[in-house]
Amino acid sequence: MSGEGKRLRRLITSNPLSMFGLVTATIFVVLAVAETVTFGKITPFNPYQVNFDQANLSPSLAHFFGTDFEGRDIFSQVIAALPVDIGISVAVVVVSALMGVVLGTLAGYFRGAFDEVIMRLTDMFLAFPQIIMSLAIAATLGPSLVNVSLSLIVVWWPPYVRLVRGAVLAVAAEDYVSVSKALNSSFLYIVRKDALPNVLPSVLVYATTDIGSALLTLSTLGFLNVGIPPAMPELGRMASNINYSLFLYPTQVVIPALVVMVMVAGFSFLGEGLRESLDVKLRPHILIRGRGLEKFEDSQQKKITGPRPGPRTDESH
Amino acid sequence: MLLGVALIVFFISHLLNPNPALLWAGPRARPETIKAVAAAYHLNDPILNQLYYYFQSLLTGNFGTDPQTGRSILSEILFYAPNTLELVLASMLIIIVLGVGLGYISGMRFGSKVDSAIRLFYLSTWSTPYYLGAMLALLVFSSYVPLFPSGGNGTVGFTYTPITGIFVLDSLLQANWPALQSGLYHLVLPATTLALLSFGIVPRIMRSSILDTRWSMHVKAARARGLKEGEVRRKHILRNALIDTTTVIATTFGWLFSGTIIVEQIFAWPGIGQFSYIAIVSVNYPVLVACVFVFTLGVIVANFIADVIYPFLDPRITLGEGG
Repeated sequence: MSGEGKRLRRLITSNPLSMFGLVTATIFVVLAVAETVTFGKITPFNPYQVNFDQANLSPSLAHFFGTDFEGRDIFSQVIAALPVDIGISVAVVVVSALMGVVLGTLAGYFRGAFDEVIMRLTDMFLAFPQIIMSLAIAATLGPSLVNVSLSLIVVWWPPYVRLVRGAVLAVAAEDYVSVSKALNSSFLYIVRKDALPNVLPSVLVYATTDIGSALLTLSTLGFLNVGIPPAMPELGRMASNINYSLFLYPTQVVIPALVVMVMVAGFSFLGEGLRESLDVKLRPHILIRGRGLEKFEDSQQKKITGPRPGPRTDESH
Repeated sequence: MLLGVALIVFFISHLLNPNPALLWAGPRARPETIKAVAAAYHLNDPILNQLYYYFQSLLTGNFGTDPQTGRSILSEILFYAPNTLELVLASMLIIIVLGVGLGYISGMRFGSKVDSAIRLFYLSTWSTPYYLGAMLALLVFSSYVPLFPSGGNGTVGFTYTPITGIFVLDSLLQANWPALQSGLYHLVLPATTLALLSFGIVPRIMRSSILDTRWSMHVKAARARGLKEGEVRRKHILRNALIDTTTVIATTFGWLFSGTIIVEQIFAWPGIGQFSYIAIVSVNYPVLVACVFVFTLGVIVANFIADVIYPFLDPRITLGEGG
């Protein structure tokens, strides 16, 4: 285990992109967890405390990000918003990935009518702008964190089904799966031993980047004042009072939006960097089994010294 | 496909809605008014009958009347959609030029500082929320350095007869230069913002397909035949790389549409994104259905155009040489 951990660490630290992503994402996740575990004790001020004497202050040492139009400390609000933003994004991605793994495996393995139905369904969901659908659902269901998560999950699962189904289709065509079938292995056994190890790495890498996208969409819902309960601090919504503070007090709206950007960049750089180092399309076993890295490094070596005139692309489509 | 999307929209809008008549008639409406509204929109009918009315109206292209303004939804859509089309097409132009260009440079100078800089640039814009980009654009280019107007699409103060409904195109067709200037002037900021924030994937795919073709055998063969370097690059590398990129550009259309919701909001652009947002927050689902329909149609048309372009890019289909 520790050997694999070491390899994974080397894999991440070898690429500046994933290194930056890892550091940023970790900082935000740790802050969010600390905020949740201590029940909001780590914020320097009470994020809900209205104080009109101190309204619209610029960033200073006392108030790192300044205060908003009601005198609430923006830094504290940002910290208080992290559990909501990160929590929902992670939940949405995890549930979608699980749905994708289950539905995609079933569709890719059994084919037939079920596959057909699932694929047409994903086609339809992918055909229109996701955000409109989740806006509509969130607006009709009314503001609550569960409803927001639901509205995002409804539009979030189709890419995962496609990803998993494609990988399972490829695996199911392999000889070793046919042999396994001939040996009368059960469906679950084949899935566990053959399909999942090939599928999970790409799902994990995609999901890492996707947490960022979920965060973007979630904060956009917040920005449009849809779905997030009124008293809940949320980064997108903090950025939404542009009508009266954009030109007068730009920091009030720009800072929360910048925090979203940095957070999203963290997750997507991490995912992108992992994808680059792993080239998951071709070497999916590295992450899970941990034994492929030597080969990977060998092939990297070959790229430099070998007969190929130039490096291959390490990006999958 | 379109029907399937329509079906999803129908079920989501109808099953989730407790009682839209209550909302449409207004908070202080008398019970009779609410009943009348409900009857006018067949809200008391069984769900299957509603489905029938729904498809009937969709297939005849008649989206009904807007329960809030009382105007025909089709006429409202026809007013808003060209504005959005103007914005989206302008962004598309920027995306194609900039995305393909940056991806090409990045791919051809693989591993250099320029490559890293370009990649950092498109990865960062990709992770920027639309509202942040739009706000910053507004702050910097309209407030601190007042180069561009902060909102609207420039039609104010101009009388023009709509031909296509696209302001810039109309004023161009009628040779109305001041109007054209105003239209373009208002278009620059929202279109650039929308384009830059949605284009991330285009240079990325462009770069990786350049890397795929750059060292491939047919390019070597072309060089071996003694073709000029420029010709090799143009005809053998760029053209091959454009095939995948075309697919991706078609998919960015979907993101552009999602982007319009925010960008139109912030730049006060009277388009369908803003229109659908208002419909969504006021649970005005006849309008919402029409908007989703238009958006979906846009995505499908974009994919269709991409399909039409493929044969021109892929020499195996048209010319039968190279490849």
